[in-house]
Amino acid sequence: MGAAQFRQIFLQPLQSNRSSQFPPPRGHWRSHLQCKGDAHREGTDLVCRRVSKLLSGTDSYSDPFCRAAARGDFFSVSHSNDDILSCVYKWISDSPALVVARSAPEETVTSSFASFIHAVRPEHLSKIVRYRSKRMILDSIGVGLVGSTTHVFDIALKYCLELYSSVAVSNVYGKPGVKLSPTLAAFTNGVATHSMDFDDTWHPATHPSGAVLPALLAASQMLPPNSKPNGLDFLLAFNVGLEVQGRLMHFSTEAHNIPKRFHPPSVVGTMGSAAATAKLLCLNMTQCTHALGIAASLAGAPMANAATQAKPLHIGNATRLGFEAALLAARGMEANPFILDDISGCSGFSAFYSIYQPRSLSTPNEHHEFLLEKQDIAFKRFPAHLGMHWVVDAALSVRNLFINYAGSFSPSLIRTIVLKVPVSKYINRPFPNSEHEARHSFQFNACTALLDGEVGLSSFTESSIHRQELRELLHKVVVEHPEDNVANFDKMYGEVAVLLKSGDVLTGKCDTFYGHWRKPLSRESLLKKFRSNASHVLPEEKVETIITMVDNLENLSDSSHLACSL
Amino acid sequence: MQFTITGNFASVIHGLNTNHLTDVVIQRSKRMILDTLGVGLLGTSTEVCQKVKQYSKIYSSDISSTIWGHLDFRLPPLYAAFVNGVAVHSMDFDDTWHPATHPSGAVLPAVMALSEAFPQKKKVSGLDLLLAFNVGIEVQGRLLRFSSEARNIPKRFHPPTVVGTMGSAAACAKLLALNQMKCKNTLAIAASYAGAPLANAATQTKPLHIGNAAKHGLEAACLASQGLQGNNQILDMESGIGAFYTDYNPQTLPTLQSYPWLLDQQDVAIKRFPAHLGTHWVADAASSVRRKLVENSGNLLPLETIEKVTVKVPEVKYVNRPSPNSEHEARHSFQFVACSTLLDGSMSIQSFASENIHRPALQELLCKTQLEHPSDNKPSFESLYCEVTVVLRDGNTISDRCNTFYGHWRKPLTKGDLEKKFQSNASEVLPAEAIEGIIETVYNLEKVEDCSVLNTFLSGQSARLLPEKLHVEHSNS
Repeated sequence: MGAAQFRQIFLQPLQSNRSSQFPPPRGHWRSHLQCKGDAHREGTDLVCRRVSKLLSGTDSYSDPFCRAAARGDFFSVSHSNDDILSCVYKWISDSPALVVARSAPEETVTSSFASFIHAVRPEHLSKIVRYRSKRMILDSIGVGLVGSTTHVFDIALKYCLELYSSVAVSNVYGKPGVKLSPTLAAFTNGVATHSMDFDDTWHPATHPSGAVLPALLAASQMLPPNSKPNGLDFLLAFNVGLEVQGRLMHFSTEAHNIPKRFHPPSVVGTMGSAAATAKLLCLNMTQCTHALGIAASLAGAPMANAATQAKPLHIGNATRLGFEAALLAARGMEANPFILDDISGCSGFSAFYSIYQPRSLSTPNEHHEFLLEKQDIAFKRFPAHLGMHWVVDAALSVRNLFINYAGSFSPSLIRTIVLKVPVSKYINRPFPNSEHEARHSFQFNACTALLDGEVGLSSFTESSIHRQELRELLHKVVVEHPEDNVANFDKMYGEVAVLLKSGDVLTGKCDTFYGHWRKPLSRESLLKKFRSNASHVLPEEKVETIITMVDNLENLSDSSHLACSL
Repeated sequence: MQFTITGNFASVIHGLNTNHLTDVVIQRSKRMILDTLGVGLLGTSTEVCQKVKQYSKIYSSDISSTIWGHLDFRLPPLYAAFVNGVAVHSMDFDDTWHPATHPSGAVLPAVMALSEAFPQKKKVSGLDLLLAFNVGIEVQGRLLRFSSEARNIPKRFHPPTVVGTMGSAAACAKLLALNQMKCKNTLAIAASYAGAPLANAATQTKPLHIGNAAKHGLEAACLASQGLQGNNQILDMESGIGAFYTDYNPQTLPTLQSYPWLLDQQDVAIKRFPAHLGTHWVADAASSVRRKLVENSGNLLPLETIEKVTVKVPEVKYVNRPSPNSEHEARHSFQFVACSTLLDGSMSIQSFASENIHRPALQELLCKTQLEHPSDNKPSFESLYCEVTVVLRDGNTISDRCNTFYGHWRKPLTKGDLEKKFQSNASEVLPAEAIEGIIETVYNLEKVEDCSVLNTFLSGQSARLLPEKLHVEHSNS
C-alpha cells in the first residue's frame, strides 16, 4: 500500500474538518492493512491495534494525533499532516519491534514503572509494610555494622580512601569520623552489608535491602540542609526500591528459582537502587525513566563470583551504580525509555533472562499494594547463604536425637551423613577452603551444626573451617537431591540423616527455619541480632539510639540523622 | 594444579612482554591510538560529554589524571578513564573490530589515566603503554571468539560492555605489573562489572558503556591489586563470562613463543564519519549513486524526480531507524545515512547537527526510503554489503553497491587521511603545537621514555616541552 492511499484513508477527514466526529472508515484501513498478507500478519495486527486505539481514544482525528505528536510518539514532533501520515505509513512498513518501540509511553511497562516511582506517596505505605521495612532497615544496618569488620570491607574502604579523600559528606558504617563521597560511601556500606552474606533474602530470591539502603543513607547526607528528606520520605524511597526489585523478579519464571546465570542483586538490585534514589532525589517522571535505563546498563554480574570476595561487591555496586544512574539522570542523561519492555532483536533489561514477560505496575491512586505486603522477607540467624538455614535447623534436631541416643555427640559412631537438599551448584561445596566458600556450602553448615550445636559468626573463622574434626566429618557427607526438593526458597526443605555404624538412622527435617517468612524472627530475636552485630563497632548508647530512631522513622524530621548516627 | 582457561589467560597476560610485539602490531596499534585520541578530543565538546564531566566533578582527589582537552580540570584516575572513555564513544566515531566491538575506547583511557597514578619516580615508558594497550586489545579479540554468536552484529549485550570491560581490566593489570594470581582476580572482578543491554544503543547511555568499560576495568585491576579475590575460573564457566552468551566455548591462548596477536591477523576499521560502522557501506554506495544522478544536473540532486530509494543491508534492528529524531538515533540509522549522502554527496560531523537531521528535503527523502534485507547479506562486518537503488519517476533506476568501504580493514585509510582525520578532530579543542606533539609522540611511542608527555599534550599544553621530555632520535620518522 502506498503513501497516497494512506493520505486518502487518514487525512481527508482531518483536512476537511478538524473537529469532525470519528467517521466509519475504521474497517477500511483495517482491511487495507491486512492486505499486506499473512507473512506480516503479526506486525499488522499490532499496528491495527495501535492505530485503532489512537483513533478511538477520542472523537476526532486531530486530537489524538496532535497529542501523540506532542508526546514525541511520532518520528517528528512537527504537527504537520505529512509527518503524521508518514509515521503511520512507517508503522506499517516497519518491523513489529520498531512498532513496539514507537508505541505511546503511557502504554509501556517501563513508563508504568517510572510513573509508579514518581507518583507513589507515603500514604500508600500500609502498617504492615512500614513495620516490615523498618525491621529490614534495622537488620540491614546491623549486618552492615558487623560487616565493617571484615577483610573484604577493609579492601573496599582502603581503595576508596586512597582515591577519594575530599568531597566526603557521607558516613561509613562503623567508622565514626571517616567520610566518603556519597556514591562511594554507598559502595562501601553495600559491600559491608553483604560481606558475610548476612543480609535479608526475599522471594523470588534476591537480597533487597542491601542494594537500596546504603544509597539512600548516603544520598540523605548529600542533599542540602533545606531539602533534607524526612523519615517518611526515606521510608517511601526505600519501599520504592524494594517494590521495583520485587516486580522485576516476577518478569521471569526463571527468577523464581535460585539463580544460575546472573546474581539477582546485581540485576534487580541496581534497578531498585536507581528507583529508590530517584524517589529520594524527587526526580521527575522522565528522569525516573532514564534512571532505570541507565541503571540497566550498569546491571548484571555473573553467578560464578558467588562464594568469593567479589560477591559482596555485587551489592556494593548495585547500590552505588543505581545511585550513580539516578545522579546521571538528574543531570539530564538519557537512555532507552523502553528498557523494561520486551524488544526483540535489541534487548533491554530482558538481556538478563531467557524467559521474559514484563508486566505493568499499576499507577498508585488511592491504594497501592506493595509486594512486601504479600511477601515478607527472610532474616538470617547466622551469616551464610539462606539455603544453609534449612540444613542447619535439620542438623540441630538430629544432633539432639543423637545426644538422647548416645549421651553425647560422638562423630566416631557415624558412618555416613546424608543431606537431602535441592540441586544448586554454587552452594554444594564438599570441602570449602575460605570463609566465603564455607558460607556457600550445605556440607560445611550441616557438619558445623552437628559438631557445635550452633552456627554463628565464629563458625566461619579460618581456624574453625580448617579444624581436623570438622574435616573428618565432611568426609562422611553424601549429598542427595530428591526430586520433590526444588531450588526455590518458598518450597525447599532440608533433611539430614545420620547413618550410624550400629545400623541405626537418625533423621531430622526442616521445612521452615526460624527466620523464614513463614516463621519470622520475634522482635526480641531481631533486636538481639542487631545488638550483637552493632556492638562489634558501636558503643551501647549509640546502638540504642539507632534502634529508637528506626522504630520512629516516620516521625524523624531529617532522615540524614540516621546516617549521621552510624 | 588444575589447568583452566582462566589461569591460562592470566599467565599469558602476565607473561607477555614488549619483545612479543611485532612491527605490524605496533604500527596498527599506533594508528588506533592516534585515531582514538583524535576522536576523543573531538568528543570532549559533545553534550553527553559535558554531562559526564559535570557529574564526575563530584569527586576530587590528590591523585589526578588528565581530562583530554582540559588544562585546568583534572579528575581521579577512575573518573578520568570514565570521562575520556565517554568522550571517545560520544559520537560513535571510534574504531570497530571484527568480531564486532570498539576495542580502543575501552582500553586507552584506562591505561592513560592509570599511567598518571604511578608515584613520581616510576615512569611509564611508551613501550609499557603500548604493551598494556595491546594486552587489552588481545583479550577482547580472544573473548569474542568464544562464541559464534559474537561473530555477528550483536542483539543482546553491547560487546564493549562485556569484552571491553575485560580488556580494560587486563590492560590495567598489565600496566600495574600484577602477578599471575592478581591478573586472574582482575578478570574475575571485571566480569562482575560487565554487560549492558543493547537497547541503550542510539541513546546517550551508549557512550557511557565505553566510559564504564574503561572505568570498571581499571577499578577491577585496582581492587585486585589490593588483594580482592574473585572466582578463579571466571572464563571457564557457563555462569562466568559464559553468562553473557548462549553458545559459550572458551579456548586457550597460544603459547608465548612468537605470540600470534589477533591484531596481526585482523586489522580494525577506522571510521570516516561519526556513525555506526554499518552505515559506512551505505554512505559509499549512496555516494556513487549520487555521482551518477547529478551527472546531468549541475551537481544538484533532482529530488523531485526520485520516486523511491531502496537500501539493501543486513537485518540489524538497532540500526534500522526510518525516522531518527536525535543525533544519537541518526548515527544508528541506515536510512538517514543513505538520504544524507544522496543529498550532500558525503557524510561529515555536520551531517548530524540538529538542523540537518530535521531539514525538509531530508525528511522528504526519508519518506521515500525503504530497507531490504537480502538473505545473502549477513550482519557481519566481514561480509556485509550495501546496495542503494534510486527509482526515478520516469522509471529509470540507478544503483550501486559497496562491498568494502574506504576505512574498512580490507581498504584501510592512508596515513595522510588518518592524520587528516586526527587533525580535524583534535583541532576542535587543542592548539596546533599540541596536535603536532601528539602525532609525533604516538608515531615514536616505543621510543618514548616517559609517556606522561602524551598526557601533557592531551591537556592542551603546547609543544615547548617536547625537546626535554621526548627523548627521541629525530632520524627518519
